Amino acid sequence: MTKAELHDVVMVGAGPAALAAALYTTREDIDTVLYEKGVIGGLAAITDWVDNYPGFPDGLAGLDLSEKLQKQAERFGADIRLGAVLKITDKGEVKELETTDGLIQAKTVLIATGSDYKKLGIPGEEEYYARGVHYCATCDGAFYREKRLVVVGGGNSAVQETIFLTRFASHIDLLVRGDTLRASEVLQQELKKYSDKVAVHFNTTTQKIVGKDNKVTGVQGVSTKNGKNVNFETDGVFVFIGLLPNTSFLEGSGIALDDIGMIRTGDNLETSMPGVFAAGDVRSGATMQIASATGEGATAALMIRKYLEPHTH
Amino acid sequence: MPKNITVFTTNTCGYCLMVKKWLSAKGHTYEEVNLDTNPVRQQEAIALSGQLSVPITVITKQDDSKEVVIGYNPAKLAPAVA
Ligand SMILES: Cc1cc2nc3c(=O)[nH]c(=O)nc-3n(C[C@H](O)[C@H](O)[C@H](O)COP(=O)(O)OP(=O)(O)OC[C@H]3O[C@@H](n4cnc5c(N)ncnc54)[C@H](O)[C@@H]3O)c2cc1C
Repeated sequence: MTKAELHDVVMVGAGPAALAAALYTTREDIDTVLYEKGVIGGLAAITDWVDNYPGFPDGLAGLDLSEKLQKQAERFGADIRLGAVLKITDKGEVKELETTDGLIQAKTVLIATGSDYKKLGIPGEEEYYARGVHYCATCDGAFYREKRLVVVGGGNSAVQETIFLTRFASHIDLLVRGDTLRASEVLQQELKKYSDKVAVHFNTTTQKIVGKDNKVTGVQGVSTKNGKNVNFETDGVFVFIGLLPNTSFLEGSGIALDDIGMIRTGDNLETSMPGVFAAGDVRSGATMQIASATGEGATAALMIRKYLEPHTH
Repeated sequence: MPKNITVFTTNTCGYCLMVKKWLSAKGHTYEEVNLDTNPVRQQEAIALSGQLSVPITVITKQDDSKEVVIGYNPAKLAPAVA
């Protein structure tokens, strides 16, 4: 077997955190490889519109921001590969990464794997996946022109995506488990502009997705106020109930996680495995914003540079 | 090498962009059907995939048989375009 290639830094993921980090490391001539198993740009690429990334006073499409971040990182030599990292092993001076393309070695690693959508875990969800049950509005919303939809969730993502889906749907029932929306005030005000299309149902849990002839026809829920069943007729369901950190590939690696599976780091963003850093949504304590992810990416890159200094002599 | 490749997309879909990037990186050309600009072809996309989701990649082989890959899934795309 040929010897695994060795790089100064391998970044796991190519979302905003890693792309910002790669911009910094490549500008310092640190040889940088990124592995991305999904979309370059991460969750920012599947968000339809971003209004709160500094420097863009009119906002911009998430896909547009992602392309810009990618272009800027590649301009200085970032090598973005389409594939997944499956395992990280500490070999002392170097880390060994098992990827879908084979083994690769790195002096340092940045884990910036972000998070994935949480599932409801209710009957009908698996059965109708992508045939009526969806987790990506920018991908699948267009199939619901002039159709009825149910959106589940009450946070920023749920409200933002509900607003996006009003472009297509004739009516949306937004099912919120609690008695308030957790979304930001700005988004809540924006949602009010669509009150002719969107009905918000508080204190409503989602119990079952029902269908007929291979198509979703409705959602069954329960009102937590009176325990009564409530039914919503719908052609499709979009689920935005929060995120789960992408850290399952770290099982057994020895990298310390917190109790919800996010990566613990010190002040310098280093994990419990020396030379392995973490940044962005996957990091315990992250504030789950694109601006903070790119900020952490920049910090991690500077820490990586510092770590590499004594190791290059 | 397949005879031809068609990718059904929408304007806002990041995974669609990845399928296009992946195909280009592997040296394949493809026809793109954008369902936002061409909504009349939506039924065709649903009939091919049985799903209400893009990207949908339809690979027509040399013997005219068709293989449909749903989503951005390099592990399925690679053998399909081989
Ligand atoms: C619907 C929605 C709307 C949002 N709107 C806004 C907004 O308006 N403004 C804002 O500031 N923030 C917004 N956010 C949050 C923002 O998208 C995230 O905070 C940001 O993308 C985090 O960046 P990241 O790089 O840490 O992680 P991510 O963007 O999640 O990127 C991580 C990447 O790592 C990849 N990956 C994971 N595991 C592996 C592996 N093993 N191997 C290789 N690659 C891997 C993933 O495929 C992913 O592409 C929104 C989020 C959602 C879901």
